Formats: sequence, C-alpha cells, structure tokens
Amino acid sequence: MTQMIRPETGRTVDAIDPVLLAIVQKQLDHITRQMGLVMTRTASSPIFSQSHDFSCFIGSSEGHIASQADGLPIHSAAGGFAFRAVLERFRDDMEEGDVFLMSDPYEAGGNHLPDWTIARPVFVAGLLCGFVGNRAHQSDIGGGAPGTYNPQATEIFHEGIRLPVLKLVERGRLRKDLFQLLLLNSRCPDLMEGDLGAMLGSVKIGAERFRELLSELGGKQGIRVIAALLDYGERCMRSEIARLPDGEWAGEDGSDTDCFQRVDVPIRVKVTAKGGELTFDFTGSAPQIRGFKNSSLANTHSAVHVAVAAFFGASLPRNAGAFRPVTIIAPKGSVVNALPPAPMTMNTIFPASEIILACWKALAQANPARACAGWGKPVYGISSGRRADGSVFVMYHWHAAPGSGAVAGRDGLPQAGNLPSLGGRTNPNVEAYERIYPVRILQHEMRCDAAGAGEFRGGTSVHYEVDMLVDSEHAVRAEGMHRPSGFGTQGALDGATGVMRVREHDGGELEVPQYGMQRLRKARISIDGTAGGGWGDPRRRDPLRVLRDVRDGLVSPRAAREVYGVAIAEDGRSVDAAATAALRGK
Amino acid sequence: MVSARFQQPVRIGVDIGGTFTDVVVVDAKGGVYPVKSLSDPVDPAAGVVRALRLAATHLECEVGQLLGSCALFVHGSTIATNTLLERKGARVGLLTTAGFRDSLEIRRCIRENVWDHRAPAPEVLVPRYLRLPVDERVAADGAVLRPLEPGSIDRAIEIFRAEQVQSIAVCLLNSYVNPAHETAVRAHVLERWPEVRVTCSAELAPVMGEYERASTAVVNAFVAPRVLPYLAELNRSLRELGLPSDMLVVQSNGGCAAVAELSRKPVQMILSGPAAGVSAIQHYAKDIGNSQVIAIEVGGTSCDVTLADRASVAMTDELVVDGYHLAVPAVEIGTVGAGGGTIAGVDGGGMLYAGPEGAGSQPGPAAYGRGGLRPTVTDAQLVLGRLKPQAYGDGGLALDHALAERAIRTNLAEPLGISVIEAAAGILRLVEQNMRHAVEQSSVERGYNPRMFTLVAAGGAGPLHGSSVARSLGCASIFVPRLAGVFCAFGMCHANVRHDYQRPLLRELDDPGVLDEVARILGDLRVEAQSLLSREGFRDEQMQCHPSLDMRYAGQQWSIRIDTDSVDPAAIRRLFNAEHERLYGSVQEQARIEIVQVRLAGLGLNPEHEQPIRPVPDRKAQPVGNREVWVNEKDGVRAIAVYDGRLLEPGHVLDGPAIVEEVTTTVFVGAEDRLRVTSAGNYIIELLAPAGEGKRA
Repeated sequence: MTQMIRPETGRTVDAIDPVLLAIVQKQLDHITRQMGLVMTRTASSPIFSQSHDFSCFIGSSEGHIASQADGLPIHSAAGGFAFRAVLERFRDDMEEGDVFLMSDPYEAGGNHLPDWTIARPVFVAGLLCGFVGNRAHQSDIGGGAPGTYNPQATEIFHEGIRLPVLKLVERGRLRKDLFQLLLLNSRCPDLMEGDLGAMLGSVKIGAERFRELLSELGGKQGIRVIAALLDYGERCMRSEIARLPDGEWAGEDGSDTDCFQRVDVPIRVKVTAKGGELTFDFTGSAPQIRGFKNSSLANTHSAVHVAVAAFFGASLPRNAGAFRPVTIIAPKGSVVNALPPAPMTMNTIFPASEIILACWKALAQANPARACAGWGKPVYGISSGRRADGSVFVMYHWHAAPGSGAVAGRDGLPQAGNLPSLGGRTNPNVEAYERIYPVRILQHEMRCDAAGAGEFRGGTSVHYEVDMLVDSEHAVRAEGMHRPSGFGTQGALDGATGVMRVREHDGGELEVPQYGMQRLRKARISIDGTAGGGWGDPRRRDPLRVLRDVRDGLVSPRAAREVYGVAIAEDGRSVDAAATAALRGK
Repeated sequence: MVSARFQQPVRIGVDIGGTFTDVVVVDAKGGVYPVKSLSDPVDPAAGVVRALRLAATHLECEVGQLLGSCALFVHGSTIATNTLLERKGARVGLLTTAGFRDSLEIRRCIRENVWDHRAPAPEVLVPRYLRLPVDERVAADGAVLRPLEPGSIDRAIEIFRAEQVQSIAVCLLNSYVNPAHETAVRAHVLERWPEVRVTCSAELAPVMGEYERASTAVVNAFVAPRVLPYLAELNRSLRELGLPSDMLVVQSNGGCAAVAELSRKPVQMILSGPAAGVSAIQHYAKDIGNSQVIAIEVGGTSCDVTLADRASVAMTDELVVDGYHLAVPAVEIGTVGAGGGTIAGVDGGGMLYAGPEGAGSQPGPAAYGRGGLRPTVTDAQLVLGRLKPQAYGDGGLALDHALAERAIRTNLAEPLGISVIEAAAGILRLVEQNMRHAVEQSSVERGYNPRMFTLVAAGGAGPLHGSSVARSLGCASIFVPRLAGVFCAFGMCHANVRHDYQRPLLRELDDPGVLDEVARILGDLRVEAQSLLSREGFRDEQMQCHPSLDMRYAGQQWSIRIDTDSVDPAAIRRLFNAEHERLYGSVQEQARIEIVQVRLAGLGLNPEHEQPIRPVPDRKAQPVGNREVWVNEKDGVRAIAVYDGRLLEPGHVLDGPAIVEEVTTTVFVGAEDRLRVTSAGNYIIELLAPAGEGKRA
C-alpha cells in the first residue's frame, strides 16, 4: 500500500492530491466491504448470513460517515448518529482498544431497538482519527414477543432491552459482567453471543485496516483527506440540487392504521429548494401513534437520505458530506420523531416507506423526469409452528412481495423487497421452501391488470397460494390491504391493493386483520401481492409494449382499450393501428 | 514442401478474443510458435482459418501440412458469450409446471446494485406468452402428486409452432429430485416435432432452485442454434483442410470436450477462453516452483483472477453473465473491469476515476487513432514510456503518443490541475488498486493469504502491472510466462478432456446407509464417465476420476465442496470442518451435516509435453537500449534499460528498473526487482524489498 498511497507531498497545505483522494475513497469502501464479509462469514444467525440485515461503516473523527459501501440503505444516515452519541458521552473518556455498544433510538442514535451498533474509535499516535462501526439486527432482545417484533407493543419497554452507549470493551478487555447482562436478556443467547462476536470481529478487522491506512497517510493528513472526501460529497450533492429549480413542493403519504384500529396517520413533507440546499419539513405530520410504527430521528434521517439518493442517482457519494446541504425538520412528538416511550420496532419499514414516498411525491414536482412511482406496501404474513418431527419453524411469506414502482425508462420490477432497503432482498426458490418447511406452494405467478398503468407501468406483483400442511400461527402484516399504496405519477395510475385470503382446509374463510395473529389448523393462504404504480400517461405507452403485455396476459384486451387506448387486432398478435389512433384521439 | 521448421506431431490452440485471434502451435520437441491475427467478428470461423494460414506461413509450410500433422486441436471461443451479450440467440419456448410460469422473469428479486433502482433488469429471454404451463406436479421428495397430462404439452407445441419457436427449454418443479416428467416431456415433444431442440433443466443442471435451473436451460436453448452450427462448420473446414481428427472445445470447467459432446449443452462454452488459463497455470506449475499461484490475466477490457492451491483451481456452479444466472460447472474466475482499454475521467465532483467503463477495440484507446478521445490505461502506459509507440500484432495496430498525451492532458491533467505524468501515474495507481482488490477478493476473502502465493502476470497487459500489484499484496515473486500475451491459447495446447457429473442427494451425513448410497452414485457416475472417455479414445491409464461432495451444516444456505472418496463419516466430517474453519473461521462441532450433491469429474489426460531444457548462457544479459520511463512515485521519470526478450536465455539475470520487450507482451521490472530467466525460458521477478505489508493476512 505504501506504493499506492502517497504521504505528504511538497504541496501547499490546502491542496490534497486528487489521485490520493480517489485512492483513499476506494480503500475505505474496500474496508467496509471486508468488514461485511467478516459479518456474513462468522455470524450464527441467518439474519446476517442470509438476509444481510446489517451495515458496516467508517466515520470521521467528528462522527460523520465517510464510507458505507456495504450496507442497508435504511441505515445510511444512522451510523453517524451512533458515532456522535459516543462522542457526546465519551469524548474525553475513550482510548485505544475501547469498543462501544448501543441501541436505544431515543438515547443512542438507534434506528429501532433490535439494531445494535458497535463503534470503535481509531487512534494514530494518540490522536482520534475516526471510527469504524456496524449496525446489525439481533435475533432476539427480550420484550413482549419472540423475534424482536411485537405488534402488541404500546411502549418501547414492550420491545426489548434498551441500551444507552455502553463501553463493552475497555482497553481491549471485554466487560464480561455486561456481556452476561446482555445474554440474559435474550431468548436466544447462543445466537446473540455468536452475532456479537461477529460484530466485534468485523470492527476489529475494520479498525486494523483503517488504522493502517491512516498511519500511512499520517494521522493529521488522514483527518484532512477524510474531510476532503466529505467536501467532495457535498460538491456532488450541490451540483445535483442546482439542477432543480428553486421552489417549494408538498408531498403526503401515510398509513390507515395504528396497528390497533383504522385511523389516518398522515406523513406530510414540504420540500424547499433554495440556493443549492434542500429542506425537508415534516411539520403537519401525524402525532406519534399507539402502535410500533413510530420513527426515531436517526431512522427518519435515513429514510430521507434513501429518498434523496434514489431520486438523484446511484453515482452520488453516500457519505455525510453529501447530506450537508440537506436539512430535515422533524417535529418532536410526531410520528417521524416520537417521544419516549412510544414503541417503534416496525419503523425501518413503516413509517420509513411512507417517509420515502412522501418525499418522492414532493420531489417529483421539482423534476418530473426523475419522478419515482410508489412501490406497493406489503400484504404478507409470517407462519410458525412445529413440523411433524416436533422441530420449530418460522417462515416468511416472501413470495408475496409487492411490485415496485415505475420510473421513466423502465417498468416496475414484478416483485421487490422492502422499499427502505430499495429491494435489497433475494427471495428463496419455491423448491427450497418446500424442502425446508411443511408447505406446498400452489401458485406464484404475475397478476393481470394489477400494475399501475402508465407510459411505464408498475410492477405486477403476483398471485401466491400456499397450503400449510401442519397447524400454524400466522402473524399478519397487511399494511397495503385497504388503500392503493403504489401510487402512479405524472398521469399514471395506482397499482392494485394487496388481498389476503385464509381458509382452513376443514372450514370456511377467516377474517384477516391488518395487523394481528391467527391460529390456524391446516390452511390455505392466498395473497394477491400489492402492485406498483406507473409513470406517465398510459395513453403515451408504446402500443407495441401494450401488445406485449396483452400477449403476456398482464393486461387484458379490455384494459388495453379502455386504459391505454390501444386496440389489439383480431389475431391477438398485432395492434390495430387505425382503431388505436381513433381511441387515442389522433 | 518437404521439411517444415517444426517437429511432428504438433498441437494447436486457437483462442478467439474481441480484438485478436491467438494461435499457438506447440511441436513435438516443445518448440512454441505464437501468432496473433485480427479477429473476424462477422465470420469467426473464417478468422480462425486465416490465422492458421498465417501460422503456417510463419512456419514455412502449407496450412494443410500444419493441420495434417496436428494430434490435438483445441479451440476456445466467445461465441456463446457473445450470442448472449448481443441477444442474438434463438426464439425459445419454455415449459414449466402449471402455476409457475414466471420465475424466469421475477429472478428471485435479485438486484446487482440496490442503490441503482432505475436500472432495468436484464431483458427476459423468453416472453411470458412463450412460457407455457404443463399440467403435472412432483413433490419435494420426488413423489408424483399429479401425473403428467400430455394434452397440455400438445397445446403448448401448437403455440410454439405458430410462434416459430426454434428451441425449447423444460424446467419443472422439483425435477432435480425426480427428472422423469422432464424427460417424458422431451420425448413427447420430439415424437411430434423431431426437428426442434429440447433442453431439460435437470439434465443440464441437477441442482435445487427452479429459477437458476430455468435460467440455465433457457440460455442453453438460446445459444444452441448459433453455437452448434458454428462449431460444426469450423470442424468441417478444418477436417477438409487436413485435420486428422475432430477438434476439441474448451468448456467453462477448464477442460475440453468434443463438439459432439457439447451438442446438448453448448452453454458449457460460456467461459470457453478464459477457462483455458487453468491449463496454462497447471502446465507452468513446475517452472514456477510454487504450487500456490494466483494468476491475473489482463487484456483489453478486464482483469481475470484465478487462484490455484496445490495446482487445483476452485470450481463453482454459480455463474452470472450479464445478469443471467447459470448453474454450470465452471472454474472460479474473478473479473474486474481493469484492462488496457479501461477509461479514466474526472466526475462531476472533481474526483478521478478509472473504469469500469472500457473503450473496447472500437474506438479503443485514444492512441489507436480510431476516434477514441477519452484516455485509457494503454494511453497512460504510453505516456509513461512503459509502452513504446509502435505497431502491435500482425494486424498492425499502431500507438500514437501525441493522441494519448492529448487525451490525458485535456480530460484529466487540466481539470485536476496536475501534470500529465501525475495524471497518467494516477490512472495506473487506480487500476492497480482495483486489481489488488480483485485478488484479495479471490484470496483473502476465501481464506487464503496472498503473501504465500506467486503472482502469475499474464495477458498482453498483465506483465506491465504485475510488479506493482504483487508488491501491494506482499507477494515475494511474480512469474511471467514468456508467452503471456497468448496465455489461454497456449493453455489450450495442454488441456485435458473433462466431463463433470453430479447427482443431488440432500441427506444427512450421519443417516444410516448414506455413504453406501454415495458409493453407489459415484459408481454409476464413474461408469458413465469412463465409457464416454473410452469412446473418445482414452485408454484406462489415461483416465482419472475425481469424486467430491457438496456439504453444509443443516440450515445453512451455501454448501462447501470437499474432494474426497472416503466412506468414513468421521473422516468426512473432519475434512468438512477443516474447510469450514479455513473459509469462515468457525466450526460447529455438534451440528448436523448435510450432503447436498455428489459429484464426479472424469478426466481424459493428454500426454505431458516435453519441456525443452535450454542451455545456460555464460554471459550477462545485455540491454538493447535505454528509454525514458516513469518508474515510481519516488523516482519519477528516468532513463532505464530496455531488453529484447528474444535475446534473454535461461540463467540470465537482470536488475530493475528495466523493460523487457517480448513478442506478445511488455514486461515492466520495478526499481527493487530482480528478473531471472527460468530453465524453461520464462521469467521470475523477485521483489527484493516488498512494501511494508507484513500485517496483511
């Protein structure tokens, strides 16, 4: 590396070698990816190794994120909150070999309680030069329900153990008493022990690599290079913002349930672009709610960052510098910045999704060409029970995932993972599920006439049908069951709502709650997944693409005619050009 | 013509790349004759014949005489890959279990870059209206839940015929456990429609996962009608020109196979070309003197990384080509976009970047003078004096120094406010960092310490980067094959025939009778492999069978492959635990272990070729001149010695900094490096003062 990194050159104090800057950025990204690899390779719980529900990051000496190449979008702003929480409490009381642990969304910069953050300060010759850290979802942290999600929670105390900033490792020595306290508060202490070990191993490798890089640069020079990288991020963001006209745009999304009853929970944002800066003001959003869908400040910031990054473009640096020109106003006591003891475990999905969608609705008015249509909000459940041999299973009905929204130039993806992770989840094969779980899947096929029609249409989602071959419990999460959530933009239509039906093999159809638990004898669950919204006037869609959708069985001939203004010829294989022109009024 | 310059019989390797078609002829005494000639993208077979004529001319004979004396002709081609990349394959129909038409399009929601949500998924190769249901259902344990209903196949055939489908793929649920319905569907289709091609997913890739199997079967069906006629036509022309026996083709598994063998599975050619590098690595093993080798092969567009531990190269069956997933046995090659044509620039925020975008061969680097205005790695090498402005290859590609310098000045140096040399050096530092990260991905991230390995620098551009990359990794030495620029074509001359077989098992290691079943399966596979090899003309002593097991701890998603023929569960558990520890740093002593897959590789060994031992000269290597070259950060540009590789012989030693100009490559020997010519005439470069990388593991 000495060959690649040029130490202090004879340059003036202000100028940083642009080649060095590029090299250091790539090296930081490489280190965070290697930290992620240590996590997946050494963790015990499948949450890390298979679902990749964690993020690794590197921060500046002031606790601002400098790199997070390996991570979940919804964690993107949150690491900095954690580093700064450490600085706030331990700035004058930390040294080489100390490692901190924290989780509380009210006290310690957490997204929600199950995401635990490990932070390790990195020193060069006694000088604090930066931090490495990771944030990872634990398998169980106590609380009112196994597996961290307690839909009955009305206070954060029902959701598990709360961790302020703790010094878990003191000058290289693990505090065993503290460690025992943590394990004692989990239903799966073995998984927790393995996973905390993986997190500690990951920051150890990260700290070594980061220190090596900083040492080669020289500590002070290292701090300056990282500061220059944040400045670079800011320049990139400012040049993106500068392409928007100055103005004010409002966006609103929201939920229709507080997890206990139907109630309007609006999330309203006013976006202001002025002088190369953006302000997101959530004044006017609903007060915090009874159920566990309240957002923390770190989570709301992350959701706004996801909305902004996804709106602009993938090449934008995602360090803290890029978000300097972005101001977020989140009123205390509202659903986007709740006060204790409001419960909030669901917030990385809801209201994170609503925050992103509200921001997108506002930003769409600033630059329609980059508008993003709504992604469907999931209607699905989690089945658990015992197999014939008595072993316990927990199975997510991920095959019912919703469709994503369209953007200019591409239709929505037929199915995608959650919006706050920008769909970063790979679904299992049907064959794998049938091998592991006592189920038989009967159908998994794209829906017809569900996608939001548009010049680019939304993702169709699927019809999914499964037989549970044993008795089971079914935890229902059907946020998208009542109102269309995949909204259309720029003249396009909304995607269809999700529908869930549950019928016991020996009985009739059961009522499905929006959130809640069902005890089922052998049963058939069928779900029409929520579809995504379209982009642009459907009557501007290329008739050949409409033809293809009709031939593909994704759009009915009738919808082609009535919604898209396209007449399909009698052979079913071509467009009736004259009739189409007439329908489209040309 | 009576006497040719070569000793009969010869072997010939032909590798078609984007820019050049490489031909290597190895004669009976180990004499090696390389030729590079421009590829013919429109008619690649004609390009091959032209390259062979050129080789014959160099060897002072007729092409018929050359081919007539050829005992082994091995070909690697990107035709399957290009057919896929250019979407120029057949019109395919897909038959699936009723209720599951869409796994191909839904793609398990896999996203290559989550942040880039605007990127469309790769175009689905079979439109939904040609994905048709078959009434049938097999359960996860192989039991038939619903018998096959032939009427549903007939209805599909009718539609396929009307839609002019040329090739049919069949992927039914759980066929990896019980393929009977897939086989019956094929029989039924062929009875009614004998001239159509049918690919069965479980025959091609008997692995769990309907998405990956469908994708593999569809790509196979897609490329077949383009690849197979090409191979047949080329083989016919070669036979007519005098080739005594059929040519062999390199497969993704690194071994080769006869054209007839590939007729049902042309998708196996998807890595044909780069996979032949494995044979080259194995051939050089003795000369390298280290059985732990990492090869970087740097060409025009990319850097391919292959790791060999004790001469064995890791295999995978999870390939992704341009977003399409393929479950076929392949050597594990890591690829990054870092080659001679990699483009550098300055982004909107003022940051220098290099790659992943490349200039390809058209327009190519600015220095080609073909209209390319953006600076590339090759332009940087030229500006830094490491390449010289001259013609390369028989196609007469010339490099223009002024064009390279202008591209770097206007696009990089001026916007960044640095000198042209600093900008050019910056490009090298960035691509070499990228290569180093790629090597770390193939080594550190798979539990290997690169410091223990010798870095093989191959490909036309590899020997320019080898010294710097090896130094940053902490390797002690580099091996540069004298024929680095035709590495894969040379490897083809030493390739063995290889056939891979596998059967799913999905049982626990400790279940009673499991290892009896493994032994029975391996016995069946061995008979299958040996009978094919013997039909191909191999005698018993030329055959090798290598069994292996894919295993995992119960509940894990990924399996690990263990080479073993043991029937002792305790011994197998030990091997598995040790490999798990090496890869992931942990062992679960009490965990149940599953055997997922039973595999067998059948090898037909082509006889080892004689390696000429060259005389050791008693004179010092003499440079042929000096040239101004950018050496490194510290020394900047200075005049350094330039050697003509043709004058260097075994035993010669020279100290860096220096340049060695070879017929197919240019070698940069760094400031603290010492180059020595091996007894087989290749180069070992020792890094006398490796960078302070002691801590890196």
